Amino acid sequence: MTSRLFWIAVALAVWAVLPFVVPRNIADLLVFTGIYSIAGLGIGLLLGHCGIVNLAQATFYGLGAYASAYCTVMMGLPSAVGFVAGAVISMALAYVIGRPILRLTGYFLALGTLALSAIASALFFEWDWLTGGTLGIGGIPKLDLFGFVLDRPSRYYFFVWIVAFACMAVARNLVDSRTGLMLRAMRDSSTAAASLSIDLQGLRTRVFVVCALFGSLAGSLFAHHASFVSTQSFTVDRSISFLLIPVIGGATSIPGIVAGAVFVTFLPEFLSKLGDIHQILFGLALVAVVVMLPDGLMGAVGRIRAWHVARRGSDAG
Amino acid sequence: MTLSLVLQAVFAGVTNGMVYALVGMGLAAIFKGSRVINAMQGEFSVIGAMTTVLLLTKAGWPYPAAIAGGALAGALVGAFIEVAFVRYMAKKNASEDSFLLLTIGLALTLSASILFFVGRDGHLLPPLGGEGVLIVLDAVIQFHALWLIAIGIGATLLLRTFFHRTTVGLSMMAASIDADGAATTGINVARMRTFTFVLGGVLGAAGGILVTPLIGVDYQLGLNLTLKGFAAAVLGGLTNPLGAAVGGLTLGLVESLAIIGISSSYKDVVAFSVLIVIMILMPQGILGRAGRRGG
Amino acid sequence: MPADAILSLNEIGHRFGGLNVLRSVTFDVPEGGIVGLIGPNGSGKTTLFNIVSGYIRPLMGTVAYRGVPLLRDSIQKRGLAGLVRTFQTPQVFEQMTVFENVMVGCAKLTRTTMLQDLLRTPAARGQMRDIRELAEAACERFHLKGLRDLPAASLTAGQRRILEIARAVVGKPRLLLLDEPSSGLNAQEIENLRDWIVRLNAEGITILLVSHDMGLMTVAHTVHTLYFGEIVASGDMATIQRDPRVREVYLGV
Repeated sequence: MTSRLFWIAVALAVWAVLPFVVPRNIADLLVFTGIYSIAGLGIGLLLGHCGIVNLAQATFYGLGAYASAYCTVMMGLPSAVGFVAGAVISMALAYVIGRPILRLTGYFLALGTLALSAIASALFFEWDWLTGGTLGIGGIPKLDLFGFVLDRPSRYYFFVWIVAFACMAVARNLVDSRTGLMLRAMRDSSTAAASLSIDLQGLRTRVFVVCALFGSLAGSLFAHHASFVSTQSFTVDRSISFLLIPVIGGATSIPGIVAGAVFVTFLPEFLSKLGDIHQILFGLALVAVVVMLPDGLMGAVGRIRAWHVARRGSDAG
Repeated sequence: MTLSLVLQAVFAGVTNGMVYALVGMGLAAIFKGSRVINAMQGEFSVIGAMTTVLLLTKAGWPYPAAIAGGALAGALVGAFIEVAFVRYMAKKNASEDSFLLLTIGLALTLSASILFFVGRDGHLLPPLGGEGVLIVLDAVIQFHALWLIAIGIGATLLLRTFFHRTTVGLSMMAASIDADGAATTGINVARMRTFTFVLGGVLGAAGGILVTPLIGVDYQLGLNLTLKGFAAAVLGGLTNPLGAAVGGLTLGLVESLAIIGISSSYKDVVAFSVLIVIMILMPQGILGRAGRRGG
Repeated sequence: MPADAILSLNEIGHRFGGLNVLRSVTFDVPEGGIVGLIGPNGSGKTTLFNIVSGYIRPLMGTVAYRGVPLLRDSIQKRGLAGLVRTFQTPQVFEQMTVFENVMVGCAKLTRTTMLQDLLRTPAARGQMRDIRELAEAACERFHLKGLRDLPAASLTAGQRRILEIARAVVGKPRLLLLDEPSSGLNAQEIENLRDWIVRLNAEGITILLVSHDMGLMTVAHTVHTLYFGEIVASGDMATIQRDPRVREVYLGV
């Protein structure tokens, strides 16, 4: 236990120093890692605890971003209003759409959410009176915490990551709670879960709503970071890369989500140094992860650790 | 709303629908043969069309040979995907979701490869049957569209004969219905799965080659075609490749008739909404249970 | 319908394809009783269970639970009203531990909102504590202590069955439907099972029992014999065993 505390302290120290010692572009990527962790966290809850593949997260990410952009730039409202508006709209939409669509299972559900993302992306494009279309909305103000303006990546970094940690704590609470228990039961056997009075549809819908909340929050954070939002950021491709976060890292593990977010933010950046071939390499890396590490990076870490323990055990015996 | 407008929309719907049908039939054939939803089905179309474009313009092949080359490229990529990835994962009893993620990853890789090797630009192919048009009650129909529809119908009938009359087709059906049972009667299940991917690759490529003279092909076309093809397959009942033909035509017609009323930019919104509603309300597809026996 | 019936089946009929699996099945389960259902394979016992627990809607007939029509209620609602079943093939939550499996059985006894769970409010924590205590007691009672932290996937068929019963009982059912509870159990386990059924019944739980096991069936106060979807004989076990029709159709002598 003490060694665990020690490592947590080390991780926290690294976390606190990191934005000051790395170049600005890396600090910028670290901000994105935080934002993506939040969005990926919701998908991880659905994937790891409900067995639901959600390919619609860019929809809620977009709603959060546009709500923040529209409220601050077009209406001149405080940024907090944008955050709340985005969250409320996303959660309401997730509830209304989730109830029917979550009756689907397996492939149908996965492709249903993908279709949802495609619809949303088309609507973001068409409703240019609201979203600015491909031209987008620019001039979104940096966040201002009681006079302290978060205008540099190193400053915004702390804000984003504190929000991310809060979201992780909330997700952890949910997993450890009675609801989490019922979710895992439902994932293992929906037949038996129903016989124990677990409301399958209701639970799935509520987790979907929580996922949408995280997506919207991430979107609002993104809008205030980039200062500019346009349709290109909320396409189906973005939904796919959000799904990759828990898939690559490991859906049931919170460090796994962060690892997945690091993967999807940093890997393309590093690969891009190799020139235009980087997108191919990214695709291949993804295929390799799916084929070779079915439980994600954290699953692999767990297996290596189990193997180590087993080996040490046999050495001792 | 005039009659010619409706007629024009019907022709456009049937034309697009035939393309969705070809992509959807490939998707359904692969699903039937392997229980894999192939999220890179649209990439077969892009590969087929791009290969044809390159063979025609860069290598100077005659058009029919280039088309055959494009179809062959689809078949080869299909076989490669099955042998290199699907077979290995099937051996490990990978979950439905892993197969979906695998094909999504392959779709990203292939689309990026096209971007890298061919470039960002769209390419057109010459229309079959020349630039001529047919005018019926003020509605304009390109000769190419007629060729497309005819080839689509031909492919559907051929597929039907294949599944019902040939040994390979019947074996494929058997292997998909009961893999263990089929294996005991001497059917090589893995090879049958490779065949379904080859078939899926050819059908996807055919859809891509035929649609390119109308809308052009670029590296981004795949995802949209995958979704439309999936919608067609789901409408037809998913396990029934011939149902996908009916599904594709229905989708095409719904799409093009719906946009008479509203702006044409809502075409995809309409198509995907139809997909979601059908999946929820009619999980067996529009043909219902009866349709399942068809393939 | 007698006033003391907790469950009343009236003229239940059902078909799969062209096959009549149930034909005008009518009987009552008296409150506080143990009612048995026997019959050869394919006689419709499990279908009847699925109808009562809500997995199948019958084509004909009505079912009343505590005097109120039941058939429109969802599986979940029936469970909340105290009607809980086990399955012919035990359905455990394989990736969860034995203890967690039992905890799931208690989940319906408490109510927290999602928000409380997300924020881990004192109420949510208190309820988790209650659930743990109940599950702890149930593990003790059903001799699952030693298996407590094993994943359910690693249990034997017999252990799974006992876990399933423990998980059902911990939710304080009024009417417990047991589908072939003794299959896969060894002699000692069957002896325990018998004991538990009698004691649970003494605590006020009404039991509807489907079984092939004639020895276990002797705990039932009344036994109905199903044959090709029809009840051909009813009575206590001694009467049933003497009934010539039952001997003919079921015991095969």
